[in-house]
Amino acid sequence: MYSSSKPAETAKISVRAARPLEYYRKFLEKDVRPDGRELGEFRPTILNIGCISTAEGSALVKLGNTTVMCGIKAEFATPKTEEPSNGYLVPNVELSPLCSPMFRPGPPGEQAQVLSHFVNEVLNQSCCVRKEDLCIKTGKLVWVLYCDILCLDYDGNAPDACILSLLAALKSTMLPAVKYNEETEKPETDSVKTEPLHILSNPVSSTFAIFDDHLLFVDPTVQEESLATGTVTIVTNDNDLCLVQKPGGSPVTADQMNTCFERAFSRSKEVLRLIDEILHSIER
Amino acid sequence: MSNSSKRSNLRVMSAELSLLSRPDGSATLFQGDTCVMSAVYGPGEVRINKEQIDRATVEVIYKPRSGLPGCTEKSQERLIRNTCETVLLSSLHPRSSVSLTVQEMQNSGSLLACCINSMCLALLDSGMSMKCLVAAVHCVLDFEGAVFLDATDKEEKGAQACVTFVFDSVDKNVVMVHAVGKYSVEQFNKCMSVCRTASADIFHFYRETMTKKLKRS
Amino acid sequence: MRETPLTNCEKDFVKKSVAENRRIDGRQPYDTRKAKITFGVDRGSCQVQLGQTRVFAQVSCEVAEPKPSRPSDGILFVNLELSPMACPSFEAGRLSDYGVELNRLLERCLKESRCLDTESLCITTGEKVWSIRVDVHVLNHDGNIIDAASIAAISVLAHFRRPDVTVSGTEITIHPIEERDPVPLSVHHMPLCVTFAFFEQGKYLVVDPTDLEEKVMDGKMVIGMNKHREICTLQITGDIQLEKDQVLRCSNIAVVKVTEMTELIHKALDNDRQVRASGGKFGFAESISIEKVTSNQMKGSEINMEDAEEQASALVLSDQDSETPSDTIEDEETVVHVLNKGVGSIGQGGASQWTIDEEEAEKMQTEVKFKMTRTKSAHKNLPTATDGDLGDNSEEEETIVLGQDMKIISQQERQNSQKMQTKTGDVKMKKGKKYMKK
Repeated sequence: MYSSSKPAETAKISVRAARPLEYYRKFLEKDVRPDGRELGEFRPTILNIGCISTAEGSALVKLGNTTVMCGIKAEFATPKTEEPSNGYLVPNVELSPLCSPMFRPGPPGEQAQVLSHFVNEVLNQSCCVRKEDLCIKTGKLVWVLYCDILCLDYDGNAPDACILSLLAALKSTMLPAVKYNEETEKPETDSVKTEPLHILSNPVSSTFAIFDDHLLFVDPTVQEESLATGTVTIVTNDNDLCLVQKPGGSPVTADQMNTCFERAFSRSKEVLRLIDEILHSIER
Repeated sequence: MSNSSKRSNLRVMSAELSLLSRPDGSATLFQGDTCVMSAVYGPGEVRINKEQIDRATVEVIYKPRSGLPGCTEKSQERLIRNTCETVLLSSLHPRSSVSLTVQEMQNSGSLLACCINSMCLALLDSGMSMKCLVAAVHCVLDFEGAVFLDATDKEEKGAQACVTFVFDSVDKNVVMVHAVGKYSVEQFNKCMSVCRTASADIFHFYRETMTKKLKRS
Repeated sequence: MRETPLTNCEKDFVKKSVAENRRIDGRQPYDTRKAKITFGVDRGSCQVQLGQTRVFAQVSCEVAEPKPSRPSDGILFVNLELSPMACPSFEAGRLSDYGVELNRLLERCLKESRCLDTESLCITTGEKVWSIRVDVHVLNHDGNIIDAASIAAISVLAHFRRPDVTVSGTEITIHPIEERDPVPLSVHHMPLCVTFAFFEQGKYLVVDPTDLEEKVMDGKMVIGMNKHREICTLQITGDIQLEKDQVLRCSNIAVVKVTEMTELIHKALDNDRQVRASGGKFGFAESISIEKVTSNQMKGSEINMEDAEEQASALVLSDQDSETPSDTIEDEETVVHVLNKGVGSIGQGGASQWTIDEEEAEKMQTEVKFKMTRTKSAHKNLPTATDGDLGDNSEEEETIVLGQDMKIISQQERQNSQKMQTKTGDVKMKKGKKYMKK
């Protein structure tokens, strides 16, 4: 079955397939992971802003192999009767069978729904876009921003990639200038003049996986996620925390939480610098 | 916010166990006016596609009071299910399923905490083996940085941050945390230690409830 | 989960007892079980217990557009959910045949009998009306869900209060509860369902069957009726043939039952109104009796906030002492490589070495060269927005030029190259922050 010239190789393959935990632990003893990363190291992050020309704002993020694309489309809508001067922000995360064999075709599965809810919570709690800013005419016309986040390749750590792509896309969104014509009760858009969206805060997410009840490492791949005994997601918002979520899993001590917070803050600085430099490169 | 006094204790908790005749374990928990009913069936038959060879499959269904379940409900289900999986000794029942249903009946704040506590009571009532008990405590941070334990829904609306912690009974470590809003690391740690102290009350309540039910006289 | 099937002995025993005019729980054939109605703190929520069968109902309202065929009528939506809590065989999400039947019965009983005045729900004709939604959740199934559900649905419709609305020209203001008292819905009459279970081809009949009797019965008849002797709905299902006078007899029995039940509902509503008016405690919490062995109540003890604060600050201090300096890492990792207009990257490293493909291990090509250098000058390029390549994006066929030394080709070959990497086992340790381990 296997060629005789590679006995050591085949042994390694068998160990990895049959006893993934043991294999993994051998690496962790030396404070490193199979792909060569340290426990506190993120995978290389590539960000491409403005990749979809037909959308008002867009971004493509590659976090190692995990590829997530976010597109922002703006449309007109009438506001709710109870909130006449609030626009709408509608995020939606799609995990299609395209990105991983784990997901089946059909209605959104549990993971996609959980991610959609997560993105929605981050948007609401961080107040990075104020709903009042999306209002054109109180009670009559508001903007609705559809934020479609599509995962193209799922290799673990979807929340981080989704939030990063969403933030980058929102920061690059340009809305056409609109005037509300009182007589015809119709909006008039200026096809030339565009205004950038006013972003008030910068949420950045960092996900940690808990392994063997006492080890914490950052940015898990999909295999690491399946072996992990728990995860912690921390969303920082400039210098404050915005959302801390640990859905069950092994208990952690307060010290470990504090270590995670520090790493999350340092990651947020890195990521915000990345976004800023890229936005500058577009303007130049 | 200035009208409500600073609450530094949990609201009145009442529980009723075994009130439903069909499920293996059931519990209704009241925390102030918030009411949640949980029921457990298990270990029982599992569908072939969900079967796990080394442990029981835990299924959680969260039913909101009105409307069809959406993404928020799926998110709550995931939080409750992961907490349940941590607590249950599921490896004792391989190739079977444990089905837990949580029904929201009234929401006057601290809903997630009430759900987790009622789930723990229902599991206790059903007699399933657990590694440890869990206690959930909810608190809010107002804009002045004061901590309100077990907030009502009015207090939640005007708060800067809402935090729910779940602690285990053995080491009092954090099993689950769900914290949203705007807060600093120091404020987070402050909430954590306040909630940890409050969780002792809840563990005491569990003990009293089970003693009352199982004592002979 | 599947339910435990019913044994033949149990079936025969029930049939024999019914033939002797006796029921398993000691009731007479025409007796219904004791009903208990409790209202919650919020307007429009109640719990109904019919023996062991428990049902919970909740009303909610929102402003919506009316149906085009009826522009001045509000909308009533009734939804009966068979919660997995009630019976192990009920599944969440998917509505079984039984669920559909119950839903349709309840809808016919409430909507088509016009018990709720939908014209009073209109705000602006053709534009905005109130949409009332009644959700009935079955908590415990011990037979005769439809009776309990109809009692619960009617009670909550009578209990609910909707927000007050003022229309001035085209401006619609919905007043919150704190500003103006909410307005009750106008319920014309209270249609309630009564179920009759038949055995032996209609020879024997019982009212309000339990779960065991329902499993054994041949067929059933549900009569929806109000106290004014008006029949709103009638449905006969199962393997029975009834004679005319049997149906008439049952409807006479139903009149008596419905009158009793309507009185009970009115009494419960009056009680609730009195308690609310007098400022007493109301809600589900008051309905549980603390004397029972299975109930318990506790008031939380005071937490000392200062102690907690000290603990928290001690935690932060202890952590700061053991912290390793993070400045060096920041210098390394915040270097942003701007590769093109709108494209940039941070961090270095290569593809994951975890995935193995046994077939790939065999067909390893030696001509695929893969040099992995972890220098800071590593650059990655992606097709930019101006290229127009993204239109026909096929991830696998894309060739991505990485820079002088690195080249990632297709997905398949990438896996091949991973094989190469594991062979050399070249893992470089990087400087960086270590994680705290216990």
